[in-house]
Amino acid sequence: MPEANTVLKPFNVEEFLSPATLERADKTVAEIFGMMLGLEIEVVETSDLGPDTPESDERTAVVGFSGAMRGSCHIRMTAQGARSVASAMLGGAPIDEGDDSINDALGELCNMLAGGWKNDTPGLSSECALSPPTVISGRNYRVRMIKPSVKASRMYRFDIHALQLTLCCEDIESRTDE
Amino acid sequence: MQGTVLVIDDSAMMRKVVLRVLKMADVEFEAALEAGDGNEAIALLRTNKVALIMCDINMPGMSGLELLKQIKEEKLAAGVPIVMVTTESSEPQVRQAILAGARGYIRKPFTVDHIKNNVKPLLAA
Repeated sequence: MPEANTVLKPFNVEEFLSPATLERADKTVAEIFGMMLGLEIEVVETSDLGPDTPESDERTAVVGFSGAMRGSCHIRMTAQGARSVASAMLGGAPIDEGDDSINDALGELCNMLAGGWKNDTPGLSSECALSPPTVISGRNYRVRMIKPSVKASRMYRFDIHALQLTLCCEDIESRTDE
Repeated sequence: MQGTVLVIDDSAMMRKVVLRVLKMADVEFEAALEAGDGNEAIALLRTNKVALIMCDINMPGMSGLELLKQIKEEKLAAGVPIVMVTTESSEPQVRQAILAGARGYIRKPFTVDHIKNNVKPLLAA
């Protein structure tokens, strides 16, 4: 975790926008789904998505980045997809629709994805900290960054569910950590 | 295996996952205790003897590293292996954890083999 009052080298926005950002995300997503959930996952084009529809109940988990990079990692999927994630995390145990463990699992998944991505990104591993996860649920909502940010986003499919991963990086100049 | 395992994580789901994977790695205990934060863990350690502690680092309130320091100061788990389970895997983090008293470090995501390789040897020692 970055120490207070140390001069941090801010993560470069151009670097964030390079193809390596999403390549690292793909590797992290595949690793975490394989190891923790025992599920295969693949990158898909939005138009290839299956039965999940935009009108479905959705859940979004958000983990913030602070330190050398300020921003966030979001994962978004349907409530049914989130339920499948929770069940897979428990080795296939059945999970009731309203079970609190669904949000808990989604938050943990986002935490692992954010952590895995930043640990794999040069200049961020020890210079960037993660916030505890937050989970949002509902229909037809948008998550917006308040500060000017750049985004890298990817769609994936596991089983019959879609997952959208979005990484946001605040566009910041050289600074010292507050 | 004799004794009790204490799993500390603010995520109830992750506590269940850790216990499940310990079992899959043949690290079975007579009993399991769960704590959702550092204060709960301290309270449990004051009244229970444990044989293994699996602890998250990033927790709201008292972090895993602060908890390690308090466990050490109060001698609440002398000789008990403490394994950190976390998404943070930078060298400074690992070093800090070891200096604070951790005997092992497992990065999330983890597999049954990671538990076998990193936890079982600590129990055999």
